[in-house]
Formats: sequence, C-alpha cells, structure tokens
Amino acid sequence: MSPALRGLLTRSGAGFVSNGILVIFVLISLFPVYLMFITSLKSQAELISNVFALPHDPKWGNYYLVLIQRGYYKAVINSLIFAGSVTVLTVLLSVLAAFAFAVFDFAGKRTFFVLVLVGLMVSEVSILIPVYNLLKSMNLLNTYVGMILPQIALGLSFGIFLMTTFFREVPRELIDAARLDGCTDWQLLTKIMIPVGLPGINALAVIEFLWAWNSFFLPLVIATKQELMPLSVSVIDFMGRFTFNYELVATTCVIMFVPILILYIFTQRSFRRGVTMGAVK
Amino acid sequence: MIESRGRKSPYLFLAPAIIYLGIWIYYPIAKNFYLSFLGTEGTHGADFRFVGLQNYHQLLSDELFHRALLHNLVWVLLSILVPVVIGLVLAVLLVHKRTRLFYSAIFFLPVTVAPIMAAVVWGWIYNPTFGALNQMLTLIGLDSLAQPWLGDAATALVSVNMIGSWGYYGFCTLIFLAGLQNIDPEIFEAARIDGANALQQFRSITLPLLKPTLTFVLVYTTIGSMKFFDIIYVATKGGPDNSTQIVAVYMFDLFIRQGDVNYAAAMSVVLTAIILAMSLLAIRNMTRKPS
Repeated sequence: MSPALRGLLTRSGAGFVSNGILVIFVLISLFPVYLMFITSLKSQAELISNVFALPHDPKWGNYYLVLIQRGYYKAVINSLIFAGSVTVLTVLLSVLAAFAFAVFDFAGKRTFFVLVLVGLMVSEVSILIPVYNLLKSMNLLNTYVGMILPQIALGLSFGIFLMTTFFREVPRELIDAARLDGCTDWQLLTKIMIPVGLPGINALAVIEFLWAWNSFFLPLVIATKQELMPLSVSVIDFMGRFTFNYELVATTCVIMFVPILILYIFTQRSFRRGVTMGAVK
Repeated sequence: MIESRGRKSPYLFLAPAIIYLGIWIYYPIAKNFYLSFLGTEGTHGADFRFVGLQNYHQLLSDELFHRALLHNLVWVLLSILVPVVIGLVLAVLLVHKRTRLFYSAIFFLPVTVAPIMAAVVWGWIYNPTFGALNQMLTLIGLDSLAQPWLGDAATALVSVNMIGSWGYYGFCTLIFLAGLQNIDPEIFEAARIDGANALQQFRSITLPLLKPTLTFVLVYTTIGSMKFFDIIYVATKGGPDNSTQIVAVYMFDLFIRQGDVNYAAAMSVVLTAIILAMSLLAIRNMTRKPS
C-alpha cells in the first residue's frame, strides 16, 4: 500500500470515527427530550406497550387535562412572574454595579470585587436556614416577593461579573469622547454604555431567566402553597400526587420546557455569548 | 479608567448590589456561623443557648455525614471524568468542522433542561419494568446487564451522576470550543509541517494553551459538584440505603423535616468552608484581571 493511500485511509477512518462519536452524542442529547414529548401524548395503556415509538393516537387532551382541569396554568403564570421579576431586577443591579467596576477607579475597588466574587461560590445550601428564618420573620413565606428576593442574590454575582466583562469591551475612546462632551455619569451609562453593551445585557437576561425558570431549591422551601408554586416545584408536587400517571407528569414537563426551548432557539447567540464570555475572556 | 478618588459617584452605582448581597448572602453566611454554635440540648424546649463546638463534635462522629461528604467527592471525580472529558473530546472533534455551530447547539440543549426535569425523565429511562435503558439492553442481547439502576445501592450513585453529566457535557463543549477557537490556527499549521501527529499536537499545543479554560472548567465543576441538590432530591432522595446521600440533601432533611436547625447550620458552614477553600485559588486567578 502506498503511503499516500494509507494516509488517505487513516484519515477517512478517523473521520468516520469522529463523525460516529458526534452522531452518538446527538442521539444521547436528544433522546430524553424526545421521550418526554412522545410520552406526554400517550395513553396509560400505551406507556408500557410502546415505549420508543410515536403514539398511535396522540392524546392532545392530556394538555387540556393538566393545564385547565388540574389548574396547572396557574403554575405557568407563577413561573412567568417569578422568573421575569428575578431577571429584570438582577440585570438592573448588575448593570449599575458593573458600570462602577468597568469605568471608574476608586478606593476599595479590589475589595468590593472580591466580595462580589465570593457570591459566585455561595449556593442555596449556604444561605437556606437564615434566609428561611428572615423571610418567616418578615411574613414573606408563600409570597411572590419572598420567592423573588433571595433568588436574585444567587444570580447577582455572576451578573456583575459578566456585565463587567462586557462593559470593559466598550472602546475607551467612546467613553472619553462622551466625557469631553460633558456627559454626566448617569448620561454616560444610559446614552453610551447600555446601548453599546446591549448584546451583553441580552445574554445576561437570557441566562438569568433560564436559571430562575429552572430553579427548584429555594422555591421548594418558600412556596409550599399550591397557588404560588412555580413550574419546577409544581412538576414534583404533581408527580407526588399522580405517581403512576407518567403521561401526565410528562405533560407537565413539556409545558415547563417549551418556553425555554423557544427562548433557546431564538436567542442562540445570546446564550453562547453569555456562557462563554465569563469563562474564556 | 476614570479617576474618581474623593467622588461618590461609583459608590452610588455599586451600593444597591453590595447592600443586596449583604442582606441575602453575607448576612446569612454570618448568621449560619452564629447558629452553628447554638443548641437546645440540656435546656428546656426551644430555649437556644451557646453550646460551643458541640455541633461540630457531632459532625465528626456522624457517619452519615461522612458518607454524604464522600459521595460529594465521588461526584466531583465522576463529573470531571465523564462530562468534562466528553466535552473536551467533542470540542476537539468540532473545532475545525464547519458544522460546529449546529452540533454544539444540539449538545447544549440538555443544559437548558431543568435538572428536576432531567431527573424525572431519566427516572423513566432507568425504570426496571418499562425503562428505555433495560429495553435497549435486551434488544441488543445484553439483557444480563439489565437491572434496577436507581434502586440498587451498587449502581445508584453512578446512575444518578449520569443524569447530571447529561445536562453538563454540552456546557463543557461550548466552553472548550470557545477556548480552542482562541488558539491561533497557525500554531497547528506549523506543528503539522514539523510532522507532529494529532496526538502530539493535542499534548504539546492544545492542552498547554487551553490551560486557563481547563482551570476554569475544573474549578466550576468542583464547586457545582459540592453544592448540587435538585437531581438527587428528585431521583432518589438520597436512597436507596443512603447510597446517594449528599450533604445538601442531608442538611435539607435535617432542617425542613427534623427541625434540627443548629446541627443543619453547622453542616452548612462546613460545606461552605470547603467550597470557599477550594475556590480560593480561582479567586486569586480571577482578580488579577480587573484594575
């Protein structure tokens, strides 16, 4: 065999293996999502007799049953209020703080930045008990406000960190020119930094929304009344009460996932930017 | 950088976030620390008093806590061995492909699926009677391997970790891909001309130049593996026979179900301390950038 031919063979062999690996991981990535969708459209009888294939007779009525008859639409509204408020407030606080970090030089800057970074390491586990007691003493358990307030804190450090990275990318000349034109600090923020940094703000908003929408630990503890449960807690609550109605549990999962899927499809670039920016830059 | 020593403007922009973190992050951490030194033992009812290190003493002899901590460490190892390695391999395979955006978008899809949802769906896949995994094994003639994946203490921890890995390798792929794209392709070109094969290129170019990205992913994975909760809580609640018990779930159970506030607080302090210690190195690396 000539060296050229052997080279060609090993190269196409390597290509075959690498494409094979990629295809296998495409299947692994998609299969559970596919399973969730098809299960949500099956009847009880079909759950065991037909696990992998599409349902013979799609039961769209499962959605009516879950959303309207079981009142699950309330959880959708709760999640929208919860995740929407958390996103808006987190972005607002992050933008203000990042503006200070990225543009100004001031005494104690390094210390403040370390304080913010410490927040990156802190999770629900570290704050659960005092936060629960604090909310209880303020009569905020089982309220929207009580769910929203601590959740913002969990994403805030990441938000400040990410926005600082984005604001640093704003060209220095632009900021200097604005100063020469007599911009106040506030005008500098609203007229220059926010418009120029808008792709970054979008990226942050998308990620914070995803986190809040999918979050479970704090809402589980704070929202114990069914009328206030967001989707994540509601899915598990539903599963506890309808243990063997897998098709209906799947329906609740799909209802929770579809808004995220739509968001993901339409904001690909923002997702990618938000996830990779903090890590690689 | 705008010099503003003596001006209050930057502090005004910073204040809302810092005050906010103060109320909901720093104060709870300090309060937790304080609570961990209190206890009710020896007094009547809910009359809390200072008990010194008693709660920490109890942690030292609590075998379930030791097991839970060990499971967290196993989770760290598995999360590095499985999703991080898979993510690195997929990123290396994708970096010179024109279809990389398409593939990485699909690999990232599981990352957008809520952990609780992944736990629910994978619970069905692992189900011993109608689960897709056992059915698939039977289909390819490996039915001897079929078993109750989450119901057996021997396989439960690894099986649950696979749920977490499924929702994580796409994140690693995306990060590594971004890191690899930052490497100048001319370096690879030069290596190829010098006759370096793919493995040599990976060892002597890719890995060293990818080191900052690798460090970030390893630190991020370690922190995440110490504090995760959702998947275990939904899939196994720590069972069977405590084979998947982790610190977060154990602490949650102590606090919510048993109302053992001070002991739970001590546990939470230890976990927080471990995470902060592990992150110390990362903070040093990260704070070099601003200024």
